[in-house]
Amino acid sequence: MISTCIYNFVSTVPALRVVLLAAGLGALAGQPASADTPPRQIDLSRFPATRLEDVVVPLPSEVFNVLDKLGTPDWKGELRVPTIANRGPRPQIALLLGSVVAEGFVAVEAKDREQVKQIGRDVLELARAIGVEKTVLSRTNAILTKADASDWRGVRQELDGALTDVKNAMIELQDAQLAHLVSLGGWLRGTEVLTSIVEKSYSPDAADLLNQPDLLRYFQERLAGMPSRLRHNQLVSQVEKGLAEISPLINQKITPASVKRINEITGQVVRAISSNA
Amino acid sequence: MKRFFLIATLLLCASRAFGTVDDAIARAMEAIGPYVKQGYIVRDDEWGGDLGVKEQKAIPHTLFRGNDYWFCTGTDVDSAKIAIHVYDSRGKLVENDSWQKGHFAAARVSAPATGTYYIIVEVTSSPQERTHWAMVYAYK
Repeated sequence: MISTCIYNFVSTVPALRVVLLAAGLGALAGQPASADTPPRQIDLSRFPATRLEDVVVPLPSEVFNVLDKLGTPDWKGELRVPTIANRGPRPQIALLLGSVVAEGFVAVEAKDREQVKQIGRDVLELARAIGVEKTVLSRTNAILTKADASDWRGVRQELDGALTDVKNAMIELQDAQLAHLVSLGGWLRGTEVLTSIVEKSYSPDAADLLNQPDLLRYFQERLAGMPSRLRHNQLVSQVEKGLAEISPLINQKITPASVKRINEITGQVVRAISSNA
Repeated sequence: MKRFFLIATLLLCASRAFGTVDDAIARAMEAIGPYVKQGYIVRDDEWGGDLGVKEQKAIPHTLFRGNDYWFCTGTDVDSAKIAIHVYDSRGKLVENDSWQKGHFAAARVSAPATGTYYIIVEVTSSPQERTHWAMVYAYK
């Protein structure tokens, strides 16, 4: 399938990507372009387009980019020191890897240089445990260098890149299920932090960030489609149960009470991920 | 030596004639380049495939209110035309800006609410039966 074939292309050739971006700079800007006239409204029940099989899972930095604009939460208060010593089977490592990367974003927001560097080392160790160490080595080195230089935006980009590279490497290794678990681990910890912040200073605008029902459904479908050996993993079952509890809360108006409940559920699941459940 | 150049030229012509997915990605990257200067962060990933003429592909994506996005697409076929537009989950066109220039197109959306949006790519004309396309996006 061509979609799959091209999926990794630029990600695995970062130098080429830089060249392509540089070539694009200014090349199209300022050139006359025509505006086609798309319909203002389409009937989604008679959708004219075939759907790409997967939804696009947003990067953590897309969420944190919005959180930056919502004020100045107590990021140091949100930050946790990840425990990666209690490692179990591969599904747990994948979930843990995702949640540790999400923790990296919290550490960046808290501008905690030492914690960011430790998380960079943790990401490398977890990647090694799952057999994709080489893929993230340059990313984790860059995280350390950029943290030393307080280049927080750069660290974010490297964390995003590490997440993408790990997932793509797993897909190449025919381990797409684990790649989904990495994304899910990141989403769970990210959602726990997001709900914690929204709960402390509730506003409809901030709560609107949780309006992700299709993304949640996507994760649920991925879990449901996993082979039974994975679905019967105790931790994966717990994650699946947690998502089932979150689903009705996200599929309605998001109130302060539902924010609190989502925070409790994600908190329990993230703790289980970190404690070799 | 002459023979080497002849073969190399033939190979180059063949690759231009048939195009590749790599070319489509390169075109999409070219289209998004100018927005990097404007502070947009390009996601290090891409989506794509091949489409027939007038065939559309919808890419569902959760966008966050407060973020501004540029979605750019490109195709490997020089004389093809491609379009990209963004709709919300009710089927309403929500993009704030868009442009189309032959084998490049782009659409910008400042998400009015957090939720699922559909990025719809269409090959509007092409001399080929199937045309490779690729999409990349950036946000700030």
